[in-house]
Amino acid sequence: MDVPVPADGPLLMEAAALAALHGALVGAGYRVIGPTVRDGAIILSELGSADQLPFGWGVSLEPGGYRIRRRDDTAAFGHSAGPQSWKQFLHPPREKVWSARRVADGFEVEAAGEAPPRLAFFGVRPCDLRAIAIQDQVLGRGEHDGSRYAARRSGVFIVAVNCTEPGETCFCTSMGAGPQAGPGYDLALTELVGDGAHGFLVDIGSAAGAEMFAGVPARPADHATEDRGRSAVADAAGRMGRSMPADALHGLMERSYGASRWDDVASRCLTCGNCTMACPTCFCTTVEDVSDLSGDHAERWQLWDSCFDLDFSRLHGGPVRSSPRSRYRQWLTHKLGTWHDQFGSSGCVGCGRCIVWCPVGIDLTEEVAALQAEEGQAGIGGEQP
Amino acid sequence: MSSSEAAGLADHPFLRGMSADCVALLGAAAVAVSVPAGRRLFDEGAPADKCWLLTRGNVALDLHMPGQRNLIVETLGSGDVIGFSWLSPPHVWQFGAETVEPTGAFELDGAAVTALCDTHPDLGYQIALRMLAAAVRRLQATRIRLLDLYGMPGQDAGPR
Amino acid sequence: MSLQAVPARYRVVSREAETRDTVTLRLEPVDQPIGPHQPGQFTMLYAFGIGEVPISISGGPGSGLLQTIRSVGAVTRALCEADQGQVIGVRGPFGTDWGVAGAAGQDIIVVAGGIGLAPLRPALLAVLAARERYRRVCVLIGARTPHELVFAGEVAAWRDRGADVQVIVDRAAAGWHGHVGVVTQLIKRVDIDPGATRALVCGPEVMMRLAARSLCERGVAPRSIRVSLERNMRCGTAECGHCQIGPLLLCRDGPVISYQRAAPLLSVKEL
Repeated sequence: MDVPVPADGPLLMEAAALAALHGALVGAGYRVIGPTVRDGAIILSELGSADQLPFGWGVSLEPGGYRIRRRDDTAAFGHSAGPQSWKQFLHPPREKVWSARRVADGFEVEAAGEAPPRLAFFGVRPCDLRAIAIQDQVLGRGEHDGSRYAARRSGVFIVAVNCTEPGETCFCTSMGAGPQAGPGYDLALTELVGDGAHGFLVDIGSAAGAEMFAGVPARPADHATEDRGRSAVADAAGRMGRSMPADALHGLMERSYGASRWDDVASRCLTCGNCTMACPTCFCTTVEDVSDLSGDHAERWQLWDSCFDLDFSRLHGGPVRSSPRSRYRQWLTHKLGTWHDQFGSSGCVGCGRCIVWCPVGIDLTEEVAALQAEEGQAGIGGEQP
Repeated sequence: MSSSEAAGLADHPFLRGMSADCVALLGAAAVAVSVPAGRRLFDEGAPADKCWLLTRGNVALDLHMPGQRNLIVETLGSGDVIGFSWLSPPHVWQFGAETVEPTGAFELDGAAVTALCDTHPDLGYQIALRMLAAAVRRLQATRIRLLDLYGMPGQDAGPR
Repeated sequence: MSLQAVPARYRVVSREAETRDTVTLRLEPVDQPIGPHQPGQFTMLYAFGIGEVPISISGGPGSGLLQTIRSVGAVTRALCEADQGQVIGVRGPFGTDWGVAGAAGQDIIVVAGGIGLAPLRPALLAVLAARERYRRVCVLIGARTPHELVFAGEVAAWRDRGADVQVIVDRAAAGWHGHVGVVTQLIKRVDIDPGATRALVCGPEVMMRLAARSLCERGVAPRSIRVSLERNMRCGTAECGHCQIGPLLLCRDGPVISYQRAAPLLSVKEL
């Protein structure tokens, strides 16, 4: 059935209709993944029903700090920067690549083959939507067409949620990644809660989105309600607690290899790699070749890896980046600088997770400001590539 | 030396940048030589009283090892200087030298050059600077060889 | 992972011991061959149940896949011990090539240090196969000792085909009458026209830096010098992030890059 994408304004649905949307997705064969409260955090998990969304839960964020808290409303998406991002579903932490078994004159190899599940992402924040697009560029384009990432990605249905309430550590605005969702969603919701009402503006982003939403109770939004929703998102853009000079970052990173600031951050950084695990765009992996005790069966597994790991840059008996200073520098100059050279965009979406989930609270926006200040003084001496 | 040989001396890389006057002085202590392959220029332990500015060919510096033929420690060619031991006591060759190919050089008489340098300090300074620079280049190359860049990584680690 | 994630099976046709610790394997595909390869590219070779390493392709197209391996760890040891008939895994080819095509009419100088001669060999063979296209062809090889020279048996043939080959060793052995010293000493004297020279340099990073510097001192332009960089490589397809050096992903943007691009990267410690 060909459902036209409505060209004139968003729809408005009651919060109660989330259940219908969830049901439509499940009915279409999707496994619905979304935020839910578990173990003192808001994590991403399979939702058995829309009730499992974190209604009335918010978070308090600070460098190195994360606590969930009760909100004084019933917002389902009044939170941000959870410990996970959608990359764990598109780019899994552990994945078998192939298995092989010894045969009479050699061995036989079999690519790991199960068809990926059809996933619906329910509640993708604009920063995370941009992060997915960035990982698409790294892992899913060009010569990676036909890759396992591409196969998982092609089936995903995305329900994005615009942000009306920045988290304390968010800075998506200055990175151009929010608080309004960019292209790439099938449906985008804007939550409106207050004065006894709880509903969502719904923007249709694709034919698949229109088709999925066709059975959900909704009506065209009236102008006042639409304005309220749009203004809430626009206002949020101006209420970020941090910002980054996005246009200056590529050049700043290129000129900063010899900065003394790296020594300062190295004295705090534990090289634990939390930032790389929490970051929605970090993509580095390693491979592990394992075999069983008989030696007749072998497998190759792909695992998340981190440039903070000492073994990451091992070469001829020693790591190239052995000092913590060099490893933190690698992470930041890649994320904000050389990512542009390699993939044509910044690697940072301003989600703030690295700030929250750093055990010592290193704040990359502060580090960037310090690097800019250092350059602004006598000038960076020493190494520059 | 003939005038063409004198011009050749002035053009030798070792003397690059030296004033014409100093080169002319040095010319009095220099003679152009042509040495066939396989000829010993000097032997370990013998009095060191010359040096050579090579213009063509190949010379091997060697050391006598009991039970083996002389082992080559370095080879030098066109543009190089051979012979440092004439400069300072005990004025005794520490290595031997043998031509590997037909070799051309300017042979400088050690005693004559020393006398010239004593009476002409500006020439002495120029010679000393150049000898030092050649020795430093040799030292740098030797350090690189000691790094054993083509060796096995981890070969110098202790027992496991 | 991309389509090149699964290894192709190749059988060892022959095994030649180059030196005490280095072996050249000639491989033939069991199933479909990997794609056509260019000089300078590498493959990921898999020893069943042990692991995978990046190894330079050391032969030209035709007569099988040639790979020269130095035994430095568990995987390379297993590959060096592979018998005729044994099956190993091959993924690739990966990376950029030496690119001599654009150097017609110029002098070609190949500077190899140790095992660095292996990835240079296909480029040299390609040049010698079209010898008339180039002016002088010089090959300067640095080796640890005379017994640790790879492809030693081919040097005479290269000379016959019009290459001026000079070998220099860090340490002589009894009976060695050739050059003794560092390969930069040969660069100082080699007969080339620096303004019309294409230089290909491969070996340990320190050796490449020094050789490239010597070539620049001779007047060869940095963009006419190509080096082959090495970093930790795991996937070979520029997806795992390990092969990064500054803005480059070496499995995709290298390992062969111009010295003009490489020099600033090589000068930053722990980049």
